[in-house]
Amino acid sequence: MDSQAEKKTVGSVLVVGGGIAGIQASLDLADSGFKVYLVESSPSIGGTMAQLDKTFPTNDCSMCILSPKVVECARHLNINLMTWSELEEVKGEAGNFHVRIRHKPRFVNEQKCTGCAECTRVCPIEVPNAFDENMSLRKAIYRPFPQAVPNIFAIDKRGTSPCKAACPAGTSAQGYVALIAQGRYAEALELSRKANPFTSVCGRVCYHPCETACSRQLLGEEPVSICLLKRFVADYAVEHGDVPVQPVPVTRKERVAIVGAGPCGLTAAHDLALLGYEVTVYEAQPKAGGMLRYGIPDYRLPPEVLDRDIQRIADLGVKILTNTPVKDLDALRERYDAVLLSVGAHYAPKMRIEGEDLSGVYSAIDFLRRINSGERPDVGKRVVVVGGGNTAIDAARCARRLGAEVTIVYRRSRAEMPAYAFEVEEAEAEGVTFNFLTNPVRILGEGGKVSGLELLRMKLGEPDASGRRQPLPIEGSNYLMEADTVILAIGQLPDVSFLPKDVQVTRRGTIGYDERTLATSRPGVFTGGDAATGPRSAVEAVGMGHRAAESIHRYLSGESVEFLPRIDPEQVVILERDEVAQRLARGEITLQPRARAAELPVEERLRGFAEVSLGLTEEQAVAEARRCLACGICSECYRCVEACKPGAIDHALKERYTELNVGAIILATGFDEFDARRKYELGYGRFKDVVTSIEFERILSASGPYEGHVRRPSDGKTPKRIAFLQCVGSRDQQCGNAYCSSVCCMYAIKEAVIAKEHVREIEPTIFFMDMRAFGKDFDKYYERARDEYGVRFVRSRVAKVDLLPDGRLDLVYVTEDERHVHEAFDLVVLSVGLEPSKGTKALLEKLGLRRGEGGFCYTDEFRPLATSKEGIYVCGAGSGPKDIPETVMQASGAAAEAGKLLASQRNTLTKKKEYPPEIDISGDPPRVGVFVCHCGINIAGTVDVEAVREYASTLPYVVYAGRNLFTCSGDTQESMKKIIAEHKINRVVVASCSPRTHEPLFQETIHEVGLNPYLFELANIRDQCSWVHMQLPAQATEKAKDLVRMAVSRAVNARPLHGTPLPVTHSALVIGGGIAGMAAALNMADQGYQTYLIEREAQLGGNALHIHSTLRNPHVQDFLNEMIARVQAHPKINVYLQANLKQLEGFVGNFRSTVEIASNGQDPTEVTLEHGVIIVATGAQERETTAYLRGQDPRVLTQRELEESLAKGTFAFPEGRRGSVVMIQCVESRTKEHPYCSRVCCSQALKNAITLKTRYPDCDVYIIYRDIRSYGLREKYYQQARDLGVIFVRYDLEPDEKGHGGLPIVTQRDGQLVVKVFDPLIQADLELEADILALSVGIAPRADAEHLATMLKVPLNAEKFFLEAHMKLRPVEFATEGIFLAGMAHGPKFIEESLAQAAAAVSRACTVLSKDELMAPGTIAHVDQLACVACGDCVAICPYKAPQLVTKEVTRRNFKLVSEINPALCKGCGLCVAACRSGCITLDGFDDVQIMAQIAALVSY
Amino acid sequence: MADETKKAYDPNFKYDVAAQPGGEQIKVCYSCGTCTAGCPVTEVDPRYSPRKIIRQVLLGQREAVLSNELLWYCETCYACSAYCPQNVKFGDVMRAIREMAVAEGYWTPQFLQRVRNVDKLAHDIRLDLIRAALATKDQTEPASIEPAAAIVSKKITEVLV
Repeated sequence: MDSQAEKKTVGSVLVVGGGIAGIQASLDLADSGFKVYLVESSPSIGGTMAQLDKTFPTNDCSMCILSPKVVECARHLNINLMTWSELEEVKGEAGNFHVRIRHKPRFVNEQKCTGCAECTRVCPIEVPNAFDENMSLRKAIYRPFPQAVPNIFAIDKRGTSPCKAACPAGTSAQGYVALIAQGRYAEALELSRKANPFTSVCGRVCYHPCETACSRQLLGEEPVSICLLKRFVADYAVEHGDVPVQPVPVTRKERVAIVGAGPCGLTAAHDLALLGYEVTVYEAQPKAGGMLRYGIPDYRLPPEVLDRDIQRIADLGVKILTNTPVKDLDALRERYDAVLLSVGAHYAPKMRIEGEDLSGVYSAIDFLRRINSGERPDVGKRVVVVGGGNTAIDAARCARRLGAEVTIVYRRSRAEMPAYAFEVEEAEAEGVTFNFLTNPVRILGEGGKVSGLELLRMKLGEPDASGRRQPLPIEGSNYLMEADTVILAIGQLPDVSFLPKDVQVTRRGTIGYDERTLATSRPGVFTGGDAATGPRSAVEAVGMGHRAAESIHRYLSGESVEFLPRIDPEQVVILERDEVAQRLARGEITLQPRARAAELPVEERLRGFAEVSLGLTEEQAVAEARRCLACGICSECYRCVEACKPGAIDHALKERYTELNVGAIILATGFDEFDARRKYELGYGRFKDVVTSIEFERILSASGPYEGHVRRPSDGKTPKRIAFLQCVGSRDQQCGNAYCSSVCCMYAIKEAVIAKEHVREIEPTIFFMDMRAFGKDFDKYYERARDEYGVRFVRSRVAKVDLLPDGRLDLVYVTEDERHVHEAFDLVVLSVGLEPSKGTKALLEKLGLRRGEGGFCYTDEFRPLATSKEGIYVCGAGSGPKDIPETVMQASGAAAEAGKLLASQRNTLTKKKEYPPEIDISGDPPRVGVFVCHCGINIAGTVDVEAVREYASTLPYVVYAGRNLFTCSGDTQESMKKIIAEHKINRVVVASCSPRTHEPLFQETIHEVGLNPYLFELANIRDQCSWVHMQLPAQATEKAKDLVRMAVSRAVNARPLHGTPLPVTHSALVIGGGIAGMAAALNMADQGYQTYLIEREAQLGGNALHIHSTLRNPHVQDFLNEMIARVQAHPKINVYLQANLKQLEGFVGNFRSTVEIASNGQDPTEVTLEHGVIIVATGAQERETTAYLRGQDPRVLTQRELEESLAKGTFAFPEGRRGSVVMIQCVESRTKEHPYCSRVCCSQALKNAITLKTRYPDCDVYIIYRDIRSYGLREKYYQQARDLGVIFVRYDLEPDEKGHGGLPIVTQRDGQLVVKVFDPLIQADLELEADILALSVGIAPRADAEHLATMLKVPLNAEKFFLEAHMKLRPVEFATEGIFLAGMAHGPKFIEESLAQAAAAVSRACTVLSKDELMAPGTIAHVDQLACVACGDCVAICPYKAPQLVTKEVTRRNFKLVSEINPALCKGCGLCVAACRSGCITLDGFDDVQIMAQIAALVSY
Repeated sequence: MADETKKAYDPNFKYDVAAQPGGEQIKVCYSCGTCTAGCPVTEVDPRYSPRKIIRQVLLGQREAVLSNELLWYCETCYACSAYCPQNVKFGDVMRAIREMAVAEGYWTPQFLQRVRNVDKLAHDIRLDLIRAALATKDQTEPASIEPAAAIVSKKITEVLV
């Protein structure tokens, strides 16, 4: 890449994290002309806020206020949402970053998934639902919550389970085990058969490497009995009816011959038949089955079982020619397009010892073949079997069944035996004896018949190439053994005598082949099974059969014949012992030994060849299947694939990467909750009824595990006494989190209040240290909780929680007045703190960003949104714990920072939607098209959709009525467009789901074919019919018809509506020249917009002129001076000092203000400014007081005065004293008169105290306080102050019940200031001499706030601070569009918070200024001014100040006062329509004609 | 400041305690009360409160602390330290205060030694009783206390007399 391109600034932004912060930042940026990529690591956006029940202090439903933003974000043309994705790598620099995004495989095609949830019905895997904090279960295929956006499912797949990976045939063992656990035997059998046509066989004779790999063994238990489970479903089908085989028609012209009807050949035949080939199998023996039939004795595999599996293969259409040995391969090859040689290894090599030809000497294979063919040879009394493999064991056990005493001689020891241990054990149980380390040298005979053996003893030497120790003969140790029969089981080879020369044979005597393709040296001839590999197991032969079929298929299709690895070894899940132990500890799994199948008693076994194992009972099978640990999570049972109608599921999806070029990066990676298990003494994880606060949110939530019923987990009962424990994992140096988590006090109060709202009898108690209700309206909420709801507050930190015998929980604590208390509760909620999320930590590491306290992203106090790297910004809890409004402010602020950086590239990468010219429908009769949606079976499962469609087609004006499986799917949208054009439809009705989620989609669709979007109507027959009347399908169908009829009649009366375009003046007015105002002006001007800054004083700077240091930074004045200089020098900022807003006219995009400017000694001048937006940053002021001798004694200072004297060096203690400063907090704050917290005073006091103690280490500093509210990362300074020796004394407003305490009393005594205060901890009064008394006087709103608010038509709260549009999600704007808010005018706050809010206000303002014109929506109200009587009701009721009374010429020469509605301000809420007593206001889109038509349609039925 | 006043109120007391090994964190105490709540001695005698002692130290109540009998109630089991969210090692603080109390003449060194003996004895006795309990084969049966009681009684005499 050349350096020119590198330097180019790019107009796009990467936002990492899809919680509320990421969503807000994305929306702001996309709405102000930047392309946004929003990357979220989970499958959906919404973050923690989606999990919350309600939000404080307004008690709004969290999901309800979040949802519109989420939907808007997902639908935004310029936001590219990348869920289930992670930021992998960042290169480049500010303005031009190259980033790499990793998209994790969702296994669901995002374009095809419609969110119908059918897949979840069939998924057999249930896992703890993280969205419900693991208190409920969800399926492995899932979306995190029903309203999840995007509404696309994902499969929770950790990888391939070890059992599946171990199976040579590739059987989804975890899958069929999971299905069996649910009693779904037929599906389990089908799944097993898919990979293994010899399911009944392998359920008996498999050496089950799946079990060897089974993770269950990590629990110290035997593996899941996977093999027997397979047998169980096969046997179950025999007893309860099996699915008949459907013959497969031959669709391919090529013909395939398979030589040898063993497991390999027949599997290949099976696969090839399914692919449509004509397959003929040649078998030399009288029956098909190969070694399965002639090598495995009936007591292990009854012949009828084998017959069944083979019959199903034959039934596919495979021709099996038995007794048909192939002698001439050339001839065969000529008749077939491909040949598979799967002849097995039926030939026994000689041992080459003397006596091998005697009568009574058998090879094991011959012996077994005879037995399996029904012969019962006379073996005499004593049988010796030579060999240590499985065939030796089989031969020995058969010989036992013929009545002989059987000895196995083997030249090595037991440990080296190649036979499976379980078979050896069974042989021993049947009385077979073993002679190890012994080898025959000669077979002795008498009269041509065996009489015994001469053997030689062996010893073990060094390990050989196979790793087994080499047997070495012990010279001279020869001995004799009597025998009537000797069976030699020393190896098997294929019979290759019929092969022509050009088919190579290996030195070992097997057929040579290419490892990758199974092709032999002759083209078109393939090999597999024992013939290729030498003797192996059945399941390996099956696996090879699959490969052979695949290879032959590719060969015949002319494709490359190389295999891809069947399973990526990297994807195989390996569970750790620890993880399994934790799951056990959490109770997710329980210990349970492996099921044992019943077996035939030994004496009965020896009577014949009846099957030994009797298999598992159904009860056993289900219990056994439930032992599965579901290693892969998804079991790959593929039921979802079958269930998914749109065909969206693809288990083969792989992760992929996207490379992007972006100008800036915003981190919004959020927080993790503190793991309460780390506080062992509080019982979390040990006692079920100790829950975390976020779990309690889910308990409260209507969408939670208990559907909003307050229950405790242990027994589901409603708890009466609930304890909330604060600061769990916060303010705790022991667990490493010294900081305060900021939000817990308020959320605990909220949860207590909401719990009481759910169940009045609940008695909540909150155990806390300092109540940190520092935000706007928080203190009022706290007091209401205490005084109105009766929430009990106990100032104490609980030491420990124990379980009482009656199931309640015992809390031990000490009250402030030293009462030691044990108290029992039904439920304990731990208010867990916030930690930087794992994602945050990993990203900070990856991007090399500086980390601050607690591991959060470091930010500078004066650049609160910037990370240590230029062009990378941070917002929300990633930079420190904070609540939602702060997070939203920071998100908008970070967007503004990014926007500022990329301002030159605004609107360069964004797209604008283009629509075709609108079809003129005026004068056309209504032609209604009705689309009835099945919504998969969501609707169609209850409502008779065809009946609804049929009915709709009979309604007047309906020219088309159709049905769709998913009306919202992409292809259906396209077909809808065609239908609209084809039928000349001019009104569209969709009968489907909720307009909330889907109306904009359908409106968009019809807009795209030129229909006005207001000609659309939606009938919600899902929520209102199929869901709520699920049990009453007939009535639900009738109701659906009613709704459709109403919608049609309303649609018939719909008219096209058009928004009004409004031009935008691209400049801003900022009112107030303090830090917030200046920051806003600078940011705004840097965004490229002309900015007018008006300041009432003669000097810029505001309150900051009096602030010299902050807790973190001693250079406030430097910062301020630099800022003032930049403002004054900025070419795009016009500063007006001593200026006041006198008059404001206009509306968003088009304001016109008159500003009055005082000039010394002369008449004030006026200027008129035109601007598109206004930012109110008028600040607040220190409150004056006369309390505590303020104004009477010069030693009584405000904190600000104390700071100034310390900063200016005028501070000194009286001569000869060590110095004593007493500070009193909450003077004129948190009182009846001023019922709010001034937020900054605690930190101010700490700051001054720290300065004092640092400068005068000997002096005494006392801080008399009510709660120390050093929230967030400021807690560190509270700790520092204590460490320096500052003494904190708590007081309450009122004396306690004993009459102690109350406000401190300040007196002068002998010229000395004395502060008397009650110390609740020692229960005694303290008298503190003070050289200086510093009062934290709090922050008051500006006196002129009310005047300004009236002029701007914006509201104030009860305390006269400006009231934002929404406390949580719209913290920097007013309900009146185009007016924004920043700094202390909104409420008391710190400099860094003002800076963030100023940036946020700019960001929101840019969403207006970045546009050339604004579009007022079509649904607005109109006044019939002829009928209007100017009563003013509409003016009074409208929250948006849209109507105004104006004098107008209504008819010619007839002027009168009438209401006029400003379309730019109207939101179409309809309040004025309802309020109008003359009935002269109409709301377009909801006019009387439409509404009446709808009602008429309802009653006309 | 007069000497008497200084004893009653000594703003340097907290620094003196903090200067002792183990006392470093005492000033950081934010009086949450977890130490007292978790204290096994407070369970049996609620007058004894680690938090209150810390508070008195911080408020400079030198004499009140050093002369207080409750000083000797601590078992130095360190439960308080285990619970403390601010890492105040109250067990260590207690030892430091005791030594200061002896050094400043509120208590004799012999008394300090005697308390140490009691502590050791208490542990001894506990072990004896546990052993006695273990010696009883059937754990549902009451333990035979006689042999243990004899040992205990002998040990008490040795230490206190």
